[in-house]
Amino acid sequence: MSGRLRGAALVLLAAATFPIAATLGAGAALAAPGEDRILPTDQYTSAKARRLAETHHGALRELNTAVYHCLPWVEVARQSIGFFKPRNAPQDDRYLSIRIYIEQDPSPQFATLRMEDRGSAMFSRYVGHLLRRMTRSPALAAETAVDGFTIILEWLKQTPRAGGRPIHETVAVFVPRVVASDYLAGRIPIGQVANGSKVFGWDGETALGELKLTAWDDNFATTFKVANYQMEPGVTCQ
Amino acid sequence: MRRDPLRWLLISGVLVATAACATGEEWTTWKSHSTHFASGEHMFFSVRNREGNEAKVTRQDIALARDEAWWGKPITVGQEQILER
Repeated sequence: MSGRLRGAALVLLAAATFPIAATLGAGAALAAPGEDRILPTDQYTSAKARRLAETHHGALRELNTAVYHCLPWVEVARQSIGFFKPRNAPQDDRYLSIRIYIEQDPSPQFATLRMEDRGSAMFSRYVGHLLRRMTRSPALAAETAVDGFTIILEWLKQTPRAGGRPIHETVAVFVPRVVASDYLAGRIPIGQVANGSKVFGWDGETALGELKLTAWDDNFATTFKVANYQMEPGVTCQ
Repeated sequence: MRRDPLRWLLISGVLVATAACATGEEWTTWKSHSTHFASGEHMFFSVRNREGNEAKVTRQDIALARDEAWWGKPITVGQEQILER
């Protein structure tokens, strides 16, 4: 990763940060995102997953709502919020998961970075932030049946050619529960979360295998504001 | 007094330039977040100032703009390649 990016992150460390929580007040129900972002309970293939989904459905809805309103430049993939099993896991490990598409203009500068560096930048920007959001519910944070967290980050690789389909790049981050707990309790920095997680990458549909990413603190998700963005009535991010 | 038209021309020029370009705060944000690359700005710009109203962008505007700017079904990894239900 370039020193300039890391330097910018260090500058941001000194900036004021604040927790964000989306809350819906009375009359704001119509401003809520679609429920189709959450995997329906009857779609799970194990009793453990169904129990988790039923028990924590409210927390999943709050997560969906918070990302929708407070990170308006990202899009949550359909049926991507839920308690999924990492593919090919030997047992029924259930990870609280979310998949987001990060809206950004393609950039030659970004494209010249190595895939690991692009992935590291995205990891730094979103993984810590989303871990905090995904564990905002005390009941969910204390849920011992949750074995970890999956955060899938996806972005546009390049501007599509005329008539061509857009190609996305994707990283899937699997954070074991103990690693997430240590991070959320302030016992380890985000860099150690990257070291303690499994990360896999894709270029379009082509698997790139496991990636070794580095990570640093980046408070972009709490400080960036979409110009002229007006929150829906009754919704606040704090 | 002869300089007044020139002064007003200069002031007008500054105002136009300020309105047309990013503010200092926006540039600071841009520079501080060099991997962001105008995330969403291109899209959001198109939904500003509709019908001369005060510049505001709601979450619904963003969803609408996304639909309008849709480039087609992306080539990307299917979720079933990553997760099982």
